Amino acid sequence: MWMSKRLGAVALATMLAVSACSGGGDGKAAAADPNAKVTLSYGVWDANQKPVMETLATEFTKTHPNITVQVQLTPWADYWTKLKAAVTGGAAPDVFWMNGPNFQLYASNKVIAPMPGDADLSVYPKPLTDLYTFEGKPYGLPKDMDTVAVWYNKKLFDAKKLPYPKDDWTWADFTDTAAKLSDPAKGVYGTAAQLGSFQEYQYDTIAQAGGYVISPDGKKSGYSDPKTIAGLKFWTDLIENKSSPDLKTMTDTTPIQLFEAGKIAMYWGGSWNVSEFTANSYTKGKVDVAPLPRGEKQATIIHGVANVVSTKTSHPDQAWEFVRYLGSKQAAEILGQKGPIPAYDGTQTAWVKAHPELKLQTFLDSVSYAVPFPVSKNTAAWNEAELTYLTKAWTGQEPIDKAATELAQAMDTLLAKE
Amino acid sequence: MTTTMTPPHRSATAGARRGAERGGWRRGRAPRRGRGPSRRKEALWGYAFIAPTGLGIAVFYLWPVLQTAYFSLTEWGAFGGHTWTGLDNYRRLSSDPEVGRALVNTLTYTGLGLLSIPLAIGFAVLLNRKGMRFVGFYRTLFFLPVVTMPVAIAMVWRWLYNGDYGLINYLLSLIGIDGPNWVADPATALYALVVVGVWSSVGYNLIIFLAGLQAIPKEYYEAAAIDGAGPFRQFFSVTLPLLSPTAFFVSVVSVIGSLQLFDLVYVMAGSGAGARANPAFPRLETVVQLFYDRAFVTNDRGYAAAIVMMLLLVIVVLTAVQFRFQKRWVHYA
Amino acid sequence: MRKNLGVHTILIAAALAMVAPFCWQIVTSLKSLSNATKVPPSLLPEGRWDNYGKVFDVLPFGHQFLNTVLMAGLRTIGQVLFCSMAAYAFARLRFPGRNVLFGILLSVLMVPPQLFIIPQYQIISSLGWLNSLQALVVPGLFSAFGVFLLRQFFLGLPKELEEAAAIDGAGPVRIYWSIVLPLARPGLVALALLVLLWSWNDLFWPLVVNTDPGKMTLSAGLASLQGQFQTDYPVLMAGSLLASLPIIAVFTVLQRQFIQGIATSGIKG
Repeated sequence: MWMSKRLGAVALATMLAVSACSGGGDGKAAAADPNAKVTLSYGVWDANQKPVMETLATEFTKTHPNITVQVQLTPWADYWTKLKAAVTGGAAPDVFWMNGPNFQLYASNKVIAPMPGDADLSVYPKPLTDLYTFEGKPYGLPKDMDTVAVWYNKKLFDAKKLPYPKDDWTWADFTDTAAKLSDPAKGVYGTAAQLGSFQEYQYDTIAQAGGYVISPDGKKSGYSDPKTIAGLKFWTDLIENKSSPDLKTMTDTTPIQLFEAGKIAMYWGGSWNVSEFTANSYTKGKVDVAPLPRGEKQATIIHGVANVVSTKTSHPDQAWEFVRYLGSKQAAEILGQKGPIPAYDGTQTAWVKAHPELKLQTFLDSVSYAVPFPVSKNTAAWNEAELTYLTKAWTGQEPIDKAATELAQAMDTLLAKE
Repeated sequence: MTTTMTPPHRSATAGARRGAERGGWRRGRAPRRGRGPSRRKEALWGYAFIAPTGLGIAVFYLWPVLQTAYFSLTEWGAFGGHTWTGLDNYRRLSSDPEVGRALVNTLTYTGLGLLSIPLAIGFAVLLNRKGMRFVGFYRTLFFLPVVTMPVAIAMVWRWLYNGDYGLINYLLSLIGIDGPNWVADPATALYALVVVGVWSSVGYNLIIFLAGLQAIPKEYYEAAAIDGAGPFRQFFSVTLPLLSPTAFFVSVVSVIGSLQLFDLVYVMAGSGAGARANPAFPRLETVVQLFYDRAFVTNDRGYAAAIVMMLLLVIVVLTAVQFRFQKRWVHYA
Repeated sequence: MRKNLGVHTILIAAALAMVAPFCWQIVTSLKSLSNATKVPPSLLPEGRWDNYGKVFDVLPFGHQFLNTVLMAGLRTIGQVLFCSMAAYAFARLRFPGRNVLFGILLSVLMVPPQLFIIPQYQIISSLGWLNSLQALVVPGLFSAFGVFLLRQFFLGLPKELEEAAAIDGAGPVRIYWSIVLPLARPGLVALALLVLLWSWNDLFWPLVVNTDPGKMTLSAGLASLQGQFQTDYPVLMAGSLLASLPIIAVFTVLQRQFIQGIATSGIKG
């Protein structure tokens, strides 16, 4: 190469210096004095939840005066990139938020530690604790949970003199209602078959159709299964029948924007949309929630964020103590007043009561038939493939069964590499 | 100021300076100043002057590049740890259709993005007129895009381009044309993004060209005026040639910048669902985007390293070509 | 005035296109959140001035402003100094390996910046500099771009003055400091402005190396306001607008330098 000797020497010296430094830093603090003053860093990604997290941190310090917690907010868009840099540089936060798609990657690479001792996991929904179990060991406690339901615009239903969705409605009811609510000439559609946020769309209908995304052992794709394909076809049919805008339109204006503009009558969304829809000047007072329609069976995806502990933390005992507090009933009750649905059983009343005008109980009732979020060790790789292949079916360029079969092959190849 | 370009129609002032030597990267000549010890002294000073930047660049930039070059020959885990795989990543690269597609897109962006240079020169010349009113005010207006929040820029452009509610399609509808979904239609998306790219780079290039224009001594214009050259002749016989070192710089840097394009697609092509859910994505994705996805999203870092090495090679070649041809059109003092 | 009518027309039209997003930002900063994300958008502001007040509630504005000034200021001074030194050497001094070293330097410019995130983070981390001012400043002191820009600029400067000074016995340091730098002022100003801008807008690096909100810069602080599902765009835009005011002021002052440049560099060659 072009490198001169001089520069080579500089590079070499730097390399030595860098490796010498990084050799020394980590490792656990030698003496574990239980009364020593300790500061824990707590990595989170949602600006809207930062105040609640800070309240929880302060509450924790009240009972643990030797431990202070510093909440570190990194916006969602940069959270995982920054975390990767931090982990590689040996400086990850002591405790941080984890989500389903990333969990196994971090657990299998020993970035996060399995939970020491026993914990009562029965107080959380099972699909959630299963999500954060790797090779038989739990790696953290669920903090919150979210499920999916249909948000509908009452005004648009009234205009067409249609009854509001019933709790036991079916796919046929949904499709039928969507067709009646649609008026493509005016740019109004019954629903929006969004591509890109599978949690609220494809994964739910796949489960409702009796299909699966990934085999329970995480080794095989379910996308070539006829039932899975039926779950996808549910959406492409809606686009074809003009009960949903086409993909180009949804790329220009996101379905949630369309819903907030009164252009979409039924929006498949999550429990996290509550704060937005109750604050938005258009949707406020005009919308309500219904359960997802039943296909072959009833199903919704459940997901939730968990608190996990870095393997490299210098204060593992204090970190776990904090995670246990965050997973406690007491913390869940604080969270439920001003945040997402807490995961701890029986602490959700405050969350439901916050908006009596909405049937928020729907989100909680659906937990009984909720299915876990599909993940594997490198979820992101096949999440990308899902978009690459299914886009072709969403634009109508390829029939859905062909696109799904191709996706299954690509996904199997990716899973084999894990 | 001395100049060598001296086009035939040029005159007195420049002619008097003919014979001064041509400087430049390849054949730069130092001031004549004895030989032997003073030469050595000059060399030592040379190293001393580049030492701070040289050291910093070596540590913070060159070293990471060398590491990456090495890791491109390995399978590299999401959090470190690697196994040697030789040329496997490069073999995979040569048969990956996504790489070829991204490369073609990137080269298209780069070629069309060069439009920003004549635009910036044009505006710089207009904003450099002496005695015109409000020049300072205009300059500040032209500067505003570089301080505008990217989120706001993306919102405006996405609204302009919106297929149903956009201003462009509204205006087109007035003359009976049904416009496309500009950024979601594979036929138009790339060009729509080029316009945004050019728009946002004009401001930066303008700053550089304005500075370059200051270095042109006004005597040249006076001499040209005496020769009877009008504003257009003056522009082509004085401004352009003397601005060429700056233009060369901007061209090299713009080509490099376009080949590294990433943010633009990220903010313009994606909606809430991300760029890959855009049906036009295959026509939009760039090499750096692919690199980023492999390195930070799908945890395929060894392959990502190979992609970036390939891109580096392309950039080196295109830059070397520009340096090679600079003799044809760049005139150093 | 009349002879410039055409020019004014072109400039006004172009200026409109250039300022539109900035105006949009102002209008959005005065809207309620519901109206800011509405489809189709309304182009009228609502007079929600409280958005500006909220910026100070959600961000340690003063702290972050100071960090931004320090980071941008130090990077700018450092780059103008270091880059001009190196550029002078590459443009004027002869030494073995000059072209090769310059080639290596340029090659750094060719590397996509995303590549540096993790390695630079590791270097900063092993130096123990995470969450510090050094972390924000040091990697930004060195720039291949700046060296290349100034080298091009120096190559365009007349040599006679330097040669005369050399005959008078001036060494490279004096020639660089008292002849080259003053002559190259427009170039130095341009570089300073660009570095200032980039540092001011740089969001990712401060966000990654510094986690403590009090040690972040404004751009990083503003980025942190973006929630996972919901972002308060009006407050975000208000904050960004406040953050950009000093930069606009600096430009308005500095752009006069571009005019003065004519007088100083138009020396008798």
